[in-house]
Amino acid sequence: MIRRDFSERDIHMALDGELPAEERAAYDAWLETNPDMKARSVRFTADREALRAAFAGVLDEAVPGRLRKVVLGEAPVKVAAPRSRWWLAAAAAVLLATGGFGGYFAGIDGIGQEDPAEDRLAEQAIAAHVIYAAEKRHAVEVPASDKDHLQTWLSNRVGLKLVAPDLSANGFQLIGGRLLPAGDSKAAMLLYEDDKGERISLFVTAESSENAKGTYASAQDGPQAVYWLDKGYGCAVVGSLPREQLAVVAKSAYGQLLAGLES
Amino acid sequence: MDEKKAAILGEIPRLRRYARSLLRDRDSADDLVQDCLERALLRLDNWQTGESPRRWLFTIMHHLFIDQMRKVNRRGEAAMLPLEAGETVAQPAEQLDGIASREIIDALQAISPDRRAALVMVAIEGFSYAEAANILGVPAGTLMSRIARGREELRGLLDDTARRRAIRIVEK
Repeated sequence: MIRRDFSERDIHMALDGELPAEERAAYDAWLETNPDMKARSVRFTADREALRAAFAGVLDEAVPGRLRKVVLGEAPVKVAAPRSRWWLAAAAAVLLATGGFGGYFAGIDGIGQEDPAEDRLAEQAIAAHVIYAAEKRHAVEVPASDKDHLQTWLSNRVGLKLVAPDLSANGFQLIGGRLLPAGDSKAAMLLYEDDKGERISLFVTAESSENAKGTYASAQDGPQAVYWLDKGYGCAVVGSLPREQLAVVAKSAYGQLLAGLES
Repeated sequence: MDEKKAAILGEIPRLRRYARSLLRDRDSADDLVQDCLERALLRLDNWQTGESPRRWLFTIMHHLFIDQMRKVNRRGEAAMLPLEAGETVAQPAEQLDGIASREIIDALQAISPDRRAALVMVAIEGFSYAEAANILGVPAGTLMSRIARGREELRGLLDDTARRRAIRIVEK
């Protein structure tokens, strides 16, 4: 039997089939005498099986026609830069994935120096939130009790069909809304509050010529904005909630806003 | 259809699986595969006889992925995502059943792209260290440390998730 010192590194090698066959017996014996290492090996093995299982189904999916066409030459091959911006999905997935939000975000200083449009929207939304969410009696111009009027009025002013999202499933009730300046145009702000008095706001404008999506914070511990820009409108959800929670509420709000715009 | 194209077609399911594990979102993953196939067809002549189509295609796709991830980081664009096919962020992993699968997919997305690629290449795609190091264009030692750290990080995230779930159950 080969005698050598094993280490954690060998657990990975064994798992990945890289451990020389003649060392296997000695490795197994080493594992038996090291319960910690054995537990590690068991967990890593289980994780690998879970990973394989999670993606196994992809191999059985029918190959999308667009991919076959590329190979069979039925679609024109583009020489230009990648048409898709798939890599941004990766970045956003990291942002919204469990635990990834904070780390990724912290490493980015001043998001979007390339094009300030989304910064501008997020900054305006955060500025409005900082001012009005702190107001007790004058937080809104039109209260939620007058919701129909609020929606009609803001829709007319902003130029979008606005339906105030129902965020009660997330614990937030509409307080009301107000009209705000946003650059050369106007924005609607909708304010929500939960039973602990935590407030979040939705900021919607009809000004946007591009597509973007992301998060933004102007100060280290200030409120954060999760925003979306699409052709013809922009939307930001601002609050000081834990990031994961803000992302969930924002997604719900955005989905409903979008459904409202298209209704 | 010539042999090269037939070989490329045969690799599409594997490429899609790799892309899905890198990007999670199905449409985005297929976009990456499409970019990869387009590039491959433009460079068919670079494909040396005898070279495995799988290795060649994975190398092309990996470069597309990593180059873009780096650009994203450098330009600070990481937080932006175009709204193309409707709402795609943080959608539930469709068709991939089970809480365990969803948790591990979430965790995988949260580890760094370099580690994710190294881990997936070996643990899911079954490449040897030598093959994976070659495809990823890194020394074997770097590959090994990425795999080890990737696994640790993944396990740590799964433990966190389990802990949070336990807390939620206790709170109920």
